[in-house]
Amino acid sequence: MTRPFLLALLEVKRFLADRGALAFSIALPILLFALMLGVFGGETSFNATAHVADLDGGDAARKLIERIEDVEGLDVRLYTEAKLDDSLGRSAVLTGFVIPVGFTAALESGTPAAIRVKRRGSGGNAGQITAAIVQGVADGFASEYELRRALAALVSNATTPEDLESQIGILLADARREPPVRVVDDETLVEQEEEEDILDRLLPGIIVMFLLFSVTLSAQTLIEERRNSTLERLLTTRLTAGELFAGKFLAGVSRGMIQTLVLLVLAFAVLRLAGPGALAQSAVLALVVAAAASAIALVIATVARTDDQATWAAVFVTMYMTVFGGTFFPIPDSGALELLSRFTLNRYAIDAYEGILAETATLGDATFEIAILGAVAVSCLIIARLLFRVSSEAK
Amino acid sequence: MEDFLVASDLTKSFDGTQVVASASFTVRSQEIFGLLGPNGAGKTTTIRMLSTVLDPDEGDIRIGGHSVAGESDAVRRLIGVCPQELALYPELSATDNLVFFGRMAGLPGGEAKARAAEILERVGLTDRAKDAVRKYSGGMKRRVNIAIALMSKPRLLFLDEPTVGIDPQSRNHIFDTVLALRDEGMSVLYTTHYMEEADRLCDRIGIMDAGHVIALGTPVELKTRIGNPDTTTLEEVFLSLTGRSLRD
Ligand SMILES: Nc1ncnc2c1ncn2[C@@H]1O[C@H](COP(=O)(O)OP(=O)(O)OP(=O)(O)O)[C@@H](O)[C@H]1O
Ligand SMILES: [Mg+2]
Repeated sequence: MTRPFLLALLEVKRFLADRGALAFSIALPILLFALMLGVFGGETSFNATAHVADLDGGDAARKLIERIEDVEGLDVRLYTEAKLDDSLGRSAVLTGFVIPVGFTAALESGTPAAIRVKRRGSGGNAGQITAAIVQGVADGFASEYELRRALAALVSNATTPEDLESQIGILLADARREPPVRVVDDETLVEQEEEEDILDRLLPGIIVMFLLFSVTLSAQTLIEERRNSTLERLLTTRLTAGELFAGKFLAGVSRGMIQTLVLLVLAFAVLRLAGPGALAQSAVLALVVAAAASAIALVIATVARTDDQATWAAVFVTMYMTVFGGTFFPIPDSGALELLSRFTLNRYAIDAYEGILAETATLGDATFEIAILGAVAVSCLIIARLLFRVSSEAK
Repeated sequence: MEDFLVASDLTKSFDGTQVVASASFTVRSQEIFGLLGPNGAGKTTTIRMLSTVLDPDEGDIRIGGHSVAGESDAVRRLIGVCPQELALYPELSATDNLVFFGRMAGLPGGEAKARAAEILERVGLTDRAKDAVRKYSGGMKRRVNIAIALMSKPRLLFLDEPTVGIDPQSRNHIFDTVLALRDEGMSVLYTTHYMEEADRLCDRIGIMDAGHVIALGTPVELKTRIGNPDTTTLEEVFLSLTGRSLRD
């Protein structure tokens, strides 16, 4: 019964001896992840434009706009309110800021002032960040006015130290009740959806995608062995069909595990994702995903008649599962996309990984996902075993 | 001498076309039996049936007293097969290839390694044993192909055109090895398109054409059929028996 393991070991050796396969399954995912990290976030600097309609036109409004312009990576474009509304209507702008009439006067007199934010939909990623930055700038700006006003009041009203204390107390209470400048949502045109951080899903997404690619593409090895007579040679040894089948399954699992473990360990080491507990749980999850992928590969290997058929089937299966499984965009709660995503391994795998990597969940919380992945592994194994023909009659 | 392999009335069709038609012959213990025939005669198909890979439509095969149909596992312990195509893993070294197939044939790890080293020495590949087979010359690859077949310590060795496309040095090395193996007690079923090769190596020869075994005998017996055995070549016998028309 050691023969299936020897067969799997052989495939692992072949995999490790094949520079192309190694590059594809380990270097390429790292490269892709680094690229996507560059595009979606990470170390790159932020660049955006704050779309502002200044209805006040006063001193304070002008100064505030200058301050926003001073923020690195942030530009200001000025609009009339009608223009801004028009741009929002056309989705040319997703987030706009309106400085209302009376802004300067309010600040000077110490009554609360508000900048209104107009959003299209969720306001876009950049818009949300810009709004947060504008809020920060406005807070700092308002505190200056407040301080100036408070100092003036203190100097004119306070005559004794106790007086000063009580004046400060009153001012602080006021400030707490009403922040001097608030950035308030004016109109949100569509109900805002909670947006997930793409990076949380990206890492497991890419790992699962390349696992699927390399494991399902290895379905060819069986067909290749049929073509180049090594299968025939194996059949003249004491290897049985069952052992051959088990060996090929184990080989797929081993390849997938090696690849995933290398990527996971790298990710944990470089990105300092989470603790060793999360790494261990990710490894267990990887085993289940690799088993499911390997079983799918065996189905492809038994159904396909030529190398080309096997390759195209593998590419199709992987692309379908990657695209609809939530690798590059989040899966909606309902509708056709949600339905399609159910027929992917990626959806379940990514969901489970995401919780574990964020350390908000454990393997125990992913029993549903693991059960689905396990069920795929078992049912594909049964299907493949029923279809598995070692005879090279149809050579 | 006793018959080690007995093939009786082997018949095989692919998609309704008969490829092997009631072929009967024997391979005796410790003899080199040459199976000759034009392209498409059915030699490889016959070997695949003899080596348990393909089930015959009709007929019976016994090897070492075991039925190929009923006792394939027992038969597999007795045979070694060197397929017509190179059947090896080019990314791996010769040693890895040999050890792997040795273990598949049931040898324990240590024994497989020792035997691999011994066989590689025998086929003159010790120096390059650790290199990936992909980097070998054509002749070296052919020698690895044969070496793998020897790993199972076979009593009967099938060599399907083992000398295709190699230089006279490698070819002669292979001849010497095959003759030595026979002298050590092995039976060999050998196919080739080189008639002088068959003449030199084979104790007995069977000529196949269009699936039929049309002649059986020692090289001298076959030559005597058409003339003086001292002046007639095996090639002349072959052409006179199988005709001069081209085959698919
Ligand atoms: N799996 C198969 N399916 C269909 N036809 C086949 C198959 N294998 C062999 N044949 C056909 O059977 C015939 C005999 O083939 P075989 O390979 O046994 O000939 P051969 O004597 O070994 O020829 P060669 O000297 O060229 O190697 C050929 O016509 C070949 O096309
Ligand atoms: Mg042939």
